[in-house]
Amino acid sequence: MTQQQATETLTFSLNNNEVTVPKGWTVMQAAAREGIKIPHFCWHPGLSIAGVCRFCMVKVEGRPKLEIACNLIATPGMQVTTETEEVKAAHKWALEFHLINHPLDCPICDQAGECSLQDYYMSVGKYKSEMTLKKVLKPKALDVGGDLVLDTERCILCSRCVRFEKEVTKTGALGIFDRGDRAIISIYDDKKISHNYTTNLVDICPVGAFTSKDFRFRKRVWFLKDIDTTCPGCSTGCQVKLYSKPEERRYYRIKPRFSETNGHWMCDEGRHLYAHMNPEKRQRTAFTPKQDNERGSKEQRVRADIRDALAFLKLKMAKYAPSDIALLVSSQLTNEEYKKTFAYFVTFLGVKKVFAWRDSAENIEAFDGLLNRGDKNPNTKGHAASLEAVGLPPVVSKSGFADAMASGAKFFIAIAPENTQGFVSSFDDQLKQLSAAGDVALFTSQAEHAKNPAFDLVVPLKCFGEKSGTFLNAQNMESKLAEKPFFPLNDQVKDLVEITALLQEN
Amino acid sequence: MGNTTDKVKILTAFEGIANSRALATYQNHGGYEALKKALTMAPGDLIEIVKNSGIRGRGGAGFPAGLKWSFVPKAEGQKFLVCNNDEGEPGTFKDRYICELSPHMLIEGMAIAAYAIGAQKAYIYTRCEFYEEIAWLETAIKEAYSAGFLGKNIFGTAFSLEMDHYSGSGAYICGEETGLLSSLEGKKGQPKLKPPFPAVSGYLGKPTVVNNTETLASVPWIINNGADAYRAIGTEKAAGTKLFCISGPVQRPGVYELPLGYSFEKLLYEDAGGMLPGHTLKACIPGGASAPVLLPDELKGLTLDYESIAAKGSMLGSGAVMIIDTNTSMVRLMEIIANFFHHESCGQCTPCREGTGWIANIMHEIVSGHAKEEDVDRLAVIAKNMGGKTICALSDAAAMPTMAIVQKFGDELKAYIRKGKAS
Repeated sequence: MTQQQATETLTFSLNNNEVTVPKGWTVMQAAAREGIKIPHFCWHPGLSIAGVCRFCMVKVEGRPKLEIACNLIATPGMQVTTETEEVKAAHKWALEFHLINHPLDCPICDQAGECSLQDYYMSVGKYKSEMTLKKVLKPKALDVGGDLVLDTERCILCSRCVRFEKEVTKTGALGIFDRGDRAIISIYDDKKISHNYTTNLVDICPVGAFTSKDFRFRKRVWFLKDIDTTCPGCSTGCQVKLYSKPEERRYYRIKPRFSETNGHWMCDEGRHLYAHMNPEKRQRTAFTPKQDNERGSKEQRVRADIRDALAFLKLKMAKYAPSDIALLVSSQLTNEEYKKTFAYFVTFLGVKKVFAWRDSAENIEAFDGLLNRGDKNPNTKGHAASLEAVGLPPVVSKSGFADAMASGAKFFIAIAPENTQGFVSSFDDQLKQLSAAGDVALFTSQAEHAKNPAFDLVVPLKCFGEKSGTFLNAQNMESKLAEKPFFPLNDQVKDLVEITALLQEN
Repeated sequence: MGNTTDKVKILTAFEGIANSRALATYQNHGGYEALKKALTMAPGDLIEIVKNSGIRGRGGAGFPAGLKWSFVPKAEGQKFLVCNNDEGEPGTFKDRYICELSPHMLIEGMAIAAYAIGAQKAYIYTRCEFYEEIAWLETAIKEAYSAGFLGKNIFGTAFSLEMDHYSGSGAYICGEETGLLSSLEGKKGQPKLKPPFPAVSGYLGKPTVVNNTETLASVPWIINNGADAYRAIGTEKAAGTKLFCISGPVQRPGVYELPLGYSFEKLLYEDAGGMLPGHTLKACIPGGASAPVLLPDELKGLTLDYESIAAKGSMLGSGAVMIIDTNTSMVRLMEIIANFFHHESCGQCTPCREGTGWIANIMHEIVSGHAKEEDVDRLAVIAKNMGGKTICALSDAAAMPTMAIVQKFGDELKAYIRKGKAS
């Protein structure tokens, strides 16, 4: 019975088309689903209805005044139109009211190019402003904590940020102070915002009032290209857009996109997972031990082409019995990479000492109740499943690294995680132990990992923005990296699918 | 019905009576008999009586009070009655007169209303500037408790009612019923998005009726004398008496209880004694600052009821009749009105937040001699686009007088701009 009620529908007319929606839906929800654009600022699908911007005016047949679509519950037979002359005039004036005290400092505003005020001016505005007077001045460039810089002059007081802090983070960290056109958004008594979700405020702010400290003044958004991918920061696997200026091979930011996994939001920790992909952080080429060097010591290494490095690796592996080789693999590869890697090393070569390279102090059960999980690997489940598929125990334990060190192996093929930002234990310690463990082939995307000259066989890897593939998240949901990823740093960096193909080639 | 425009004293019955605020005085004149009677009746029957009496909300909007009560869900549960005693409309000083004369009349009316709608708790919300009125009300509430007219099992019935007093911090917007409820909840005084309406989801999300002081204070008389008796006063569509506050350069400014439909000219020239010597009528704002101004021609033959004033393009509002004489500069008047609404806009709805500030700014430019004549027309355009677009009526309250002043006194404003001083 309750299920029947939940799916009860009704039909009403939207711009002269019959639309059927679940009972209780607003006209705004219906319009959004139908692809009909009703201009709005304060309405956000992930927040409660405020109804304050008064922009989303629509005409309901038989009602004397225009109504706001966001708070208008559809009723059977209701006739709604979104584009009458009266409605258009209302939209135009609503925009004019929003803009009369807006500083129009678009040339120095990071929001320019993705600003609702600009977009709406082009779609429903294009008027000559009636405003001839001085604007109201308000505090600017305020550090309100987290990743946030607040400009109360640009603010249009839509209250999305206030509702986000109240409803999503439940911190209630923001309020609207004073009233009338003196009203400003602010924190309470200099209590700065300090949670892991601050940059969402930058996303939901329809104008440039909240800008990101991390992204501020770094790139005009129209130079950026974006791809749909998955955040590799933890086992939640938030669906995100990754922004890059491909010509620079440089990444600028990550923003969430709506999905069942993460709703509309993502955490600040995940937002920062682009910096490690930038050129200055990257292991750009392979290293091999210095050959034909009379005076040279074992530690000395030279830059090499990745094909030469892989050929060297094959020669080296041939010197060891499979039982002397340990394969140490992070839980940050894609399912496709695991499949190829295990097929080659385990099934083909017969390496049975396979260990998970993880944070040795992790608490994978940790969860902040919103999105962020203690397991800082995006593909723990896929890693385990891939092990099982080649007949190994599906165990990816935090003791994997220590077990590998104690395994008695003489040669370590170590595939490092690209993201160690959230690691609780010291990743440097693990590297130090590894460098002293014996012969090592280190696969990594990070120059920092390979800086110890003791690592004389190093294979450079791609990062997630340069890869396709899938992850299996903590809730057993599969998520995809970009189908068309960004162009890689150079032709030397490879993912494990490509590397195993090269290994099998010759 | 509604045929007598002879004066009847309902709300001002205690005028001239010594110690009128004391419970003993009130009881000596039949006080709390109406409550006693009401408690013997079914709540639904009480609502019917109030409906049939034709009384409309006296706060300004004129919504039928009985109808408002009937919107409250009949199901058991926590419900609230709130008295809107946040009298803030400029020119209005009638609710405070009720507090001064007979606060028990209000308390009795509230107890009856609470019983009718099934509320267990009632609040009086008074503006904080009413220091004395607050003290009088609190004394009266205490007296009513000790006499058993409030508290548990009133008159030995199953009906219990708690009553409390609360005062805001002086914001005009807290006189808007949902702004008042926000304030009462301890939040910033901002009107709430409707729907849902307070009758369904009001104070703390529970069904709530908010009535004006004058409305509630009329209830005991209606219960004592019956709906028909009340309906016999006033006009067909506007029953009963109303307190009118006449101010400006008149001989006897003050509060007058008059039947609705009373002649404006009788109020001005007989009750208030006419204009002060040397002063000539220029215009009148008939219902508080938000009501459009009327010209002497429009005031001729005007009767004071909702329909007649609406027919002239203005409104009865709170009954604040502000007389404007020819010495008054409409430029200055418009500036004061614009400043008021700019200062009092809560700021949540964009057209009101930005529009009230814009109008005030243009008025400052005009007054300081920096404006152009086209700015006068701009005032009307801005005001027009502020109207009917917001959560509450403050935006309209700012827009309506602006449009009327530009329409009727636009030439005076333009002449001021040309000369750089008041014409």
